[in-house]
Amino acid sequence: MRKYRKTIIGSSLLLLLLVMSILYPYYGPKDFNHQVLVKDDQGTVIGRAPFPPSENHLLGTNRNGEDIHWLLLYGAQFTLITAFGVAVLRVLLGGIFGIILSLWAPFLKSYFKDFFLTFRYIPSILLGIILMLPIVGNFSDAPVSMIVTYQIMILVFIGFPSVTLFASDVTDELIKTSFVQSSFLMGAGRLHIVRKHLRPYIGSYGILFTVQQIISTLHITMQLGLFGMFLGGRNRAGVFGYDSPEKPASLSNEWAGLIGQNFSEIIRAPWAILSPVIGYFVVIVIINFIKKELEENLDGFQVVKKKQKQKKGARAEARSTARRGLFEFVQKL
Amino acid sequence: MKRLLSALFRSALVLSGFLFIFNLPLILGIGVDSVEIHFDQFWEVVKNNLQFLFQIKDDMYLSLFKQLDITGSYQYTMSILLISLTGIILIAMVTMVLIMIAPEKIRIYLKNGVNFFEAVPDLLIIFLFQFFVISLYKATGFKFLRLYGVFGVKPYFIPIITVSFLPLFLLLQFLIQVITEEQNQLYVLYVKAKGIGRLRTLLIHMIRNILPLIVLQLRTVIWVLLSNIYLVEHMFNINGFTKQFVIIIYQGGDFASLVACLLMLSLPLLVIEAAGWLVSKRIKGTEAVSL
Repeated sequence: MRKYRKTIIGSSLLLLLLVMSILYPYYGPKDFNHQVLVKDDQGTVIGRAPFPPSENHLLGTNRNGEDIHWLLLYGAQFTLITAFGVAVLRVLLGGIFGIILSLWAPFLKSYFKDFFLTFRYIPSILLGIILMLPIVGNFSDAPVSMIVTYQIMILVFIGFPSVTLFASDVTDELIKTSFVQSSFLMGAGRLHIVRKHLRPYIGSYGILFTVQQIISTLHITMQLGLFGMFLGGRNRAGVFGYDSPEKPASLSNEWAGLIGQNFSEIIRAPWAILSPVIGYFVVIVIINFIKKELEENLDGFQVVKKKQKQKKGARAEARSTARRGLFEFVQKL
Repeated sequence: MKRLLSALFRSALVLSGFLFIFNLPLILGIGVDSVEIHFDQFWEVVKNNLQFLFQIKDDMYLSLFKQLDITGSYQYTMSILLISLTGIILIAMVTMVLIMIAPEKIRIYLKNGVNFFEAVPDLLIIFLFQFFVISLYKATGFKFLRLYGVFGVKPYFIPIITVSFLPLFLLLQFLIQVITEEQNQLYVLYVKAKGIGRLRTLLIHMIRNILPLIVLQLRTVIWVLLSNIYLVEHMFNINGFTKQFVIIIYQGGDFASLVACLLMLSLPLLVIEAAGWLVSKRIKGTEAVSL
């Protein structure tokens, strides 16, 4: 009934990329084939980075003369780990908070919505910039680990309200089901409801939420990279050829940083920027396949319900719940 | 009285949430090997901000805001938004009708094609357009299309195309999904049994029935458009409204200017939400009557 073929293939591909990236120091050139000037036998300069893609440089080099494909491979670990970690944290915190909100304090929900109303009206990229600016907006002497911690906190925070509300909506919908209601009537405590009735759903919804959040985190890190908010802060060494003002480079070579530091080079070296963007694209496509499959599996519960609902007149309402991926059981008698 | 109190309380809550979110960086200071938390400093700044917000008589109030070219750039950004929105709605509708009257086999391919664009990141599209325009210029030597907004030029064509590319597919995907669901309705079957053609059913009956849903979906479209416009204006260096916004952020402009800018930026969203509210109210009203 349920198939996880795409999920297995997709996640093993991503895992392979991650492992290759982590093991990079054991096989890859340490300086990413750093080479700014190319000289012929007499020692005269015949070429200067950035070089276009060729046999020697599979995806070309950037302005610092480093091979893009090695940089991409090395930087993948930071991008993937951050996206995954942030997504898991968002779902964990938001999920727990959402369930508590629905079960123990339903009256707080509207206040919670009001408090985080800002998130409904301001694109998250703007919020991300405003919140990250004080720390990452300039060269900073703070230790990298602290900068990364701060950035991860901000990234988690940006997604937290939406995950919480979504989890709370799902819980609300589940509480309305007959099996939970009858359990309540027979005197079950809330904790019992969570443990016995909600747990099967928490698992499948949790994974689905995580996958969705990975995609949204990838998007936002990519956009922040464009504005120079690199994960792990800025590198003082900078980009070769810009002295004053120095052009910041990414310290960790994660993909968003590669986009941000090469983005003004699009005329001279389009490969330096298109490669990381396409890298992002491939990762997002893989994760999207996984997401689709998981959603289809969840829909298995849903099919019966759609037919049943159409008898009723409340069309618009029924649809909006159906689209949110919520479901109710048929055995409502 | 009770409603007034709750409205007051809620707006206070919205305001405090806003202040909290925007001053969050102050709570989290970075120490040598730990992330420090300073509440007192945070509280001071929040108080300052609040005071600033209500000092309307002060000369400094909105000083930076007044210096900037707000009206011109706002007009530009909003006209881009409006043109893109109308374009998106028209093209999405026409394409949807075309896809729906296409033969079954082709329709599946087209649907899959539309779904594929869901995964494309907006930056990729923007960069590809930029790359395309630049290579066009390199190949021909003519500047057909203006890309960058230097020397106060405000290009329209390329930004609009770039900005509306992905939202178009978003809306199209939604339309196809909704209309496919609508086909299961009984009235469609009835109309078919009466011998009315597919195109006529689609154009006259089904589209009219899904209009309210489209209005509700437009909020998402505007949302994506706004963030895309933001990216495009930054990348093409166009002197639009978001540019003024960036100036205010980076120059540490006063809090009131920031609030004013954000309000102006979220105005389209508010408008469409009001429209959605009206529409859903009307639906509920008619349904109450029909029941």
